[in-house]
Amino acid sequence: MQAIIDCNSFYCSCERLFAPTLQNAPIVVLSNNDGCIVSRSDEAKKLGIAMAAPYFQEADRIKKFGIHTFSSNYHLYGDLSWRVMETMRSLLPKEHVEVYSVDEAFVDLHHIADKDVYDFCIHLKNTIETWTGISVSIGAAPNKVLSKVANRLAKKNKVQTNCVVVLDSAQKIQTALQKTPIEDVWGIGYQYSEKLKVYGINTAFALSMKDLSWGKKFLGGINGIKLIRELKGLQSHSMQAPRTEKKMIATTRMFGRNVSEWQEIEEALATYATRCCEKLRRQHSAAKCVQVFLLRKPPPIPYGSAQAHYHRGSQVNGYALLDNPSNVTPDIIKAVVAIGKTLFEKGEVYKKAGVIVSDFVPDSVLQTNLFIAPADARRKKLMNVIDNMNAAYRNDVLKFGTSSTHKNWKMRSEKRSKRYTTRWDELCQVQ
Amino acid sequence: MEYIDMDPSEGIATQQINKNYQAGQVVQANATGFGAASDDFMERGIDLNEQLIHNKPATFFFRVNSDAMLGAGIHIGDTLIVDRSVPPKTGKVVVAILNGEFLVRRLQMQAHSITLLPENKKYGAIHIEHLEDYKTWGVVTYVIHGL
Repeated sequence: MQAIIDCNSFYCSCERLFAPTLQNAPIVVLSNNDGCIVSRSDEAKKLGIAMAAPYFQEADRIKKFGIHTFSSNYHLYGDLSWRVMETMRSLLPKEHVEVYSVDEAFVDLHHIADKDVYDFCIHLKNTIETWTGISVSIGAAPNKVLSKVANRLAKKNKVQTNCVVVLDSAQKIQTALQKTPIEDVWGIGYQYSEKLKVYGINTAFALSMKDLSWGKKFLGGINGIKLIRELKGLQSHSMQAPRTEKKMIATTRMFGRNVSEWQEIEEALATYATRCCEKLRRQHSAAKCVQVFLLRKPPPIPYGSAQAHYHRGSQVNGYALLDNPSNVTPDIIKAVVAIGKTLFEKGEVYKKAGVIVSDFVPDSVLQTNLFIAPADARRKKLMNVIDNMNAAYRNDVLKFGTSSTHKNWKMRSEKRSKRYTTRWDELCQVQ
Repeated sequence: MEYIDMDPSEGIATQQINKNYQAGQVVQANATGFGAASDDFMERGIDLNEQLIHNKPATFFFRVNSDAMLGAGIHIGDTLIVDRSVPPKTGKVVVAILNGEFLVRRLQMQAHSITLLPENKKYGAIHIEHLEDYKTWGVVTYVIHGL
């Protein structure tokens, strides 16, 4: 059997761990720049706060009900995420844990007899909660797609299920599929679900009754086949090696305010490039393709205009292919700044920028261009030193010239809690 | 090829006379005296993380802001190492949540109630009958006190 372990309202749970007054209070966590709501406690859900709703839209209700609001505290969430995953790795063979996102992981339970899976899942759940203080829901089934179905049912009925659902018989699988609306099936997006409803397929069960060839034709070829196979109880998604390498790395931020000076854009791009390079080096990849985008502030809507809908602002993109794939910060900064310069227009106001690197090769076997000098080993060593020092001292003690020292455009995070688990001077106080 | 046995005590002098040694001896041949002998006893330094943290994913730090546990050697400004995987039992010093506050006290468990004991005469014991207001957060395993 396979299982998916998913943290309950993860960001809210992290905040609650160090907020003794909010143990049963409604809380929400906002995204980068306090833009929209990304996590809600069960109490906040009951008060009708919608997921991913823009903060300003819910602000009145939040005030009215006294809902506690937090800005994202990624230092705290990242550390607690590691603790949750590490707890799993200490209860299971390490290679049986596949981290899927910050708050969920697939685990392979084939070494456990089917009849013992439920008890083992309860043990896993209790240990994670005791050790880390983060509550989780677990769905176990013969494959990944069905484990997602099981997990959703566990989350929907926390009290009845004790947050653990195991689908270990054909009967249980069928009942679970009948209870699962088609749009809640893993891998079915909004467009596919609308399309499937046209064909009269409204539940996961209805889809599981279709032939594989039907899936191939109507659900995007091989992926459709895989999905229907798994709904039928067969296995087609294997466990991925833990810490799968990313195929693309992006760093994008809203500026905290309006930005129209090239120098500020340049600093922002350099910092995003630095972040991308750190992530590249961590997974031992080098990128060949570098992309940059700038998002303009939308023009003001004329007073009294009927055009009331939200306008996102227009985006300009540019990219470059590097002669030599690289993860060396100065290389990427140079490329990114050059692209940025071609995109930037004086007089425009920008509100967001991003750097995306892709087309990776492993940095151990760099395919270099015969006619251009390869990045030399000394620079690689330098990057190593910088990474180590920044990890040891935090807050980027070492930076490249372009990426400024006063980050005007840094994230807006007015309501961020302390970094209780990663900063010695921000520890939680006890009386 | 002539080969002269490298005695560490002879050191650099020998090295200069003859540069023919076998591959395996190159490290010693670079001798700066008696370095080689202590290599046998070389080990890693003491790592406080290893000594004081028994279960890393379950271990957290807290800062003390009260003198309620002075008798247990816990002072204001000290740092507590708290292990959530250690079962809370009577006699353990714990970090607890009571009525929306983090407290550090010695735990005493009765059949249907809990008592939190201070170790400072200025403070009184706290008896807790309504356990829904109470939660043991973790067990204190060490206190770090600066002098």
